Amino acid sequence: MAFLRSVATTTAIAASALPAAFALSSLSSSSSSSPSQSFRFPKPQNLSFLSSTPSLNPNRSCLATSFTNSPSAIHMDAPTSEQKPSHQSDAALPELLTEYMVDMKCEGCVNSVKNKLQTVDGVKSVEVDLNSQVVRILGSTPVKTMTEALEQTGRKARLIGQGIPEDFLVSAAVAEFKGPDIFGVVRLAQVNMELARIEANFSGLPPGKHGWSINEFGDVTEGAASTGKVFNPSKEEANEPLGDLGTLDADENGNAFFSGVKEKLRVADLIGRSLVVYGTADKSDSGIKAAVIARSAGVGENYKKLCTCDGTTIWEATGNDFVTSKV
Amino acid sequence: MQAALAAMAAHTVMLSTYSSPTLFSQIQSPNSHPLPHSSFHGLSVKLPLKSQFQSMFLAAAHKPLTVVAATEKAVAVPKPLTVVAATKKAVAVLKGNSSVEGVVTLSQEDDGPTTVNVRITGLTPGPHGFHLHEYGDTTNGCISTGPHFNPKSLTHGAPEDEIRHAGDLGNIVANADGVAEVTIVDNQISLTGPDAVIGRALVVHELEDDLGKGGHELSLSTGNAGGRLACGVVGLTPV
Repeated sequence: MAFLRSVATTTAIAASALPAAFALSSLSSSSSSSPSQSFRFPKPQNLSFLSSTPSLNPNRSCLATSFTNSPSAIHMDAPTSEQKPSHQSDAALPELLTEYMVDMKCEGCVNSVKNKLQTVDGVKSVEVDLNSQVVRILGSTPVKTMTEALEQTGRKARLIGQGIPEDFLVSAAVAEFKGPDIFGVVRLAQVNMELARIEANFSGLPPGKHGWSINEFGDVTEGAASTGKVFNPSKEEANEPLGDLGTLDADENGNAFFSGVKEKLRVADLIGRSLVVYGTADKSDSGIKAAVIARSAGVGENYKKLCTCDGTTIWEATGNDFVTSKV
Repeated sequence: MQAALAAMAAHTVMLSTYSSPTLFSQIQSPNSHPLPHSSFHGLSVKLPLKSQFQSMFLAAAHKPLTVVAATEKAVAVPKPLTVVAATKKAVAVLKGNSSVEGVVTLSQEDDGPTTVNVRITGLTPGPHGFHLHEYGDTTNGCISTGPHFNPKSLTHGAPEDEIRHAGDLGNIVANADGVAEVTIVDNQISLTGPDAVIGRALVVHELEDDLGKGGHELSLSTGNAGGRLACGVVGLTPV
């Protein structure tokens, strides 16, 4: 079961030694992928933060959810937790480009947003464009952590794109569970042709373990019951079909968080299928909730700020990726 | 109409930087992985040829969109040059904050037009704008769904217009009980290919879509159809 893959072991090992060494280690380990070339922005000083010692604050995040591991613990675990489909493990995700729209109005805001993000583990580079209020982050940090860090600057932040649309037909997808009992957002993003990142956040689940999977159909007319079998693109019957995502562990409040990667998963092949959560760990029931996997914008694809149909701005939109209570 | 969509697909791929604002001049993959680049280029090289070939079909097979009453069975006209006989099907379950809800089923024979069967309840009697948006993502409400699905970058229009968004499906009319049962047959929304409607969002609006002719500042972008009542993502169904 090569479900979770610990990538970037050099980064993870070095980072586990000393938080202050992280910036340097990521600089050296990134030399192979030459970020100055592959991650090009008009302003080329995007790696300037690496020369100054960032003041790392280990007490970031952990806002709403008690089960989030502290960042140092995550990286200490990283070298040993290889190949383990441990949910909640947000260790060593592959790098991905993520784009936010952040309510910034001045150069000072830009600096405070940049400074904040540069203290976050896994963030490799940050670019900000004040005119469009767009912040682009390259790194291995889970969406949840980045969103929380941005909100800690006191500004509204909305994720608007993930992945490089020029490289893949579809770089990002999202499945939304909209209640009335179970709320959740599952994000899928293509890292390369062989690997996709999966991040999920649920609330309102019955406490305990739940099987979850990508099922072949996105037909939710009868809820999870009409979504067919677990998605299995290979011709043979597999014990572990590609769409099998293992189990989610909901805490006593019904919250579950997951971030990890899945090999051989191609986001473009999943569009219009469904994400299903089961009542049991072994998926022996017919599933308690399903959501269609929808197309989502890649980086640079959707800079819409205003819903012209009813005048809602992006800041008024819910943007509630990480639902901790019923909304 | 597969041909039209393939042609559009070529368009979007070739102009893939179109929607990206200029400030971030060029993005390349942060991964040094060689695979994505090679296969992507392979695709983009192939498409223009294909589209050229298929645009001949487009000219020949062009038919205006028709809306027929729900009681009539929409008959798909079999095309003489059929290679594979395949029916594709999709469904969207529409839900909103209000009492508005419904189910929309879509089916397409080969590269023919797509038949859209709509049944939505809880509406106010009268016409309501009905659109397909580019993304099915509603994490930021209407904003993350992007604009009306518009691979040809045209202005908003009526379903039977030449100049329209592919996602402009006009109005659906609710009866005195607030139920809209409509069958739409459309040539611009396909269930396969890069510009397939699968995974995008269908939205029913509060007001009538003026089909681009209302003279309002929003007429040429949204049809001035007011807020959204319900939306749903188009998902694959077993054939």
